[in-house]
Amino acid sequence: MGTAISLDLADDLPRAELDELADEVFRWLREVDARFSTYRADSEVCRFDRGELLLSEASADLRLVLERCADLWGATDGFFDGYATGGLDPSGYVKGWAAQVASDRLLAAGSTNHCLNAGGDVRVRGLSASGRPWRVGVRHPWDPMATCLVLTGSDLAVATSGGYERGHHVLDPRRGTPARGLRSVTVVGTDLGLADAYATAAVAMGAAGPAWLDRLTDHHHAIVTDDGRLLHSTDLPLA
Amino acid sequence: MRRALLAITGLAASTTAMVVLKSGPGASQVAQELPAAGQPVAPAPDGPAPTDGGAGPEASPSGAASPRPRRSATRAPATRPTAGATSGARLPSAPRTSSAPARPTTRTVTGPVVENEYGNVQVRITLSGSRIVDAVALELPEETAQSDQRSQQVDDRYSGTSGLVVQQQGADLDTVSGATATSTSYRQSLQAAIDRAN
Repeated sequence: MGTAISLDLADDLPRAELDELADEVFRWLREVDARFSTYRADSEVCRFDRGELLLSEASADLRLVLERCADLWGATDGFFDGYATGGLDPSGYVKGWAAQVASDRLLAAGSTNHCLNAGGDVRVRGLSASGRPWRVGVRHPWDPMATCLVLTGSDLAVATSGGYERGHHVLDPRRGTPARGLRSVTVVGTDLGLADAYATAAVAMGAAGPAWLDRLTDHHHAIVTDDGRLLHSTDLPLA
Repeated sequence: MRRALLAITGLAASTTAMVVLKSGPGASQVAQELPAAGQPVAPAPDGPAPTDGGAGPEASPSGAASPRPRRSATRAPATRPTAGATSGARLPSAPRTSSAPARPTTRTVTGPVVENEYGNVQVRITLSGSRIVDAVALELPEETAQSDQRSQQVDDRYSGTSGLVVQQQGADLDTVSGATATSTSYRQSLQAAIDRAN
């Protein structure tokens, strides 16, 4: 898919051990790509979508993802929709979920200080190499070389969805047309799969998105509207 | 028949005074709507005197009731119901309403030009003593009423911070959140620059 992954391991561990941790992360993410990519005709997702694979034959990961997508469809009034594009496309959950799993595995393997960025979805834990909490910028929706907010924390999942990426329009699943009103939505929580899905759903909701995000418990958010206003939770962990 | 409707909000005591002024060669009447503790705005423009001394019809707060028939009743009813016009702050300059002996000093204050994404807004108010008796939008973007409504719809249901204009900020970052779904957009992104620097 060409999604860029950045991994920053800040633990004071031997180099060989860090290399092994990093290798394991990239091995997992390549495995996810092979299984869930909608661009690969032989991926498990595509085979399942074509009916060549029964649900009972699917991997535990695929069944888990399908279950979570169904839950999210209900939790978002149908605005998070793994079938929004016509066929099955759970990418809006998978990217965040895969990075979250990678971070959980790093933690279990002894890395308590790391920052993983999977195509703009960020999971940070502990402290950066400078000894302070991680500083996470939020991309400026009109300038890829700038940020519009800086968040900081030592246990954050940060996902940003937006309509600014060419070919990456978020569809309003009820109309089948690109969603309007919100240029970019950032959701901050502790589960990156949820944060990613909520951000995507809010963009799809358009004008109703801010109030919906405001009612989410345990999550913070920042929104840039199409007309350039910035709205954010009062308790957003700003740097 | 012209009717100018004027909404003044956020005065010192948070009162809201809505004043309906009508000017025209044939008739003059002044209606007042004072939902809160606001003081009446001085009525009676020059010209033909209103039939009942300038107090105007007892307009209901909603303004739904049509005015009492008056001398110039042939031109009633009003072309626009008051309630439907409450969001329109756009005014032709209404006649200043001052009268009575021992009038307090009148002065005019012009506000700064405030810029937003739809254009510029500038307002001039006229005070009689400490009371605003007139407000005129000198400059108002076409889209204002609609965008006000849209912003209001969002803000009404929202307890977070709102209304900031998005700005660029930030330095000394470890990473950047925001979709870089393709390798092209990644190469063109701040995240790529951060990764190169590490």
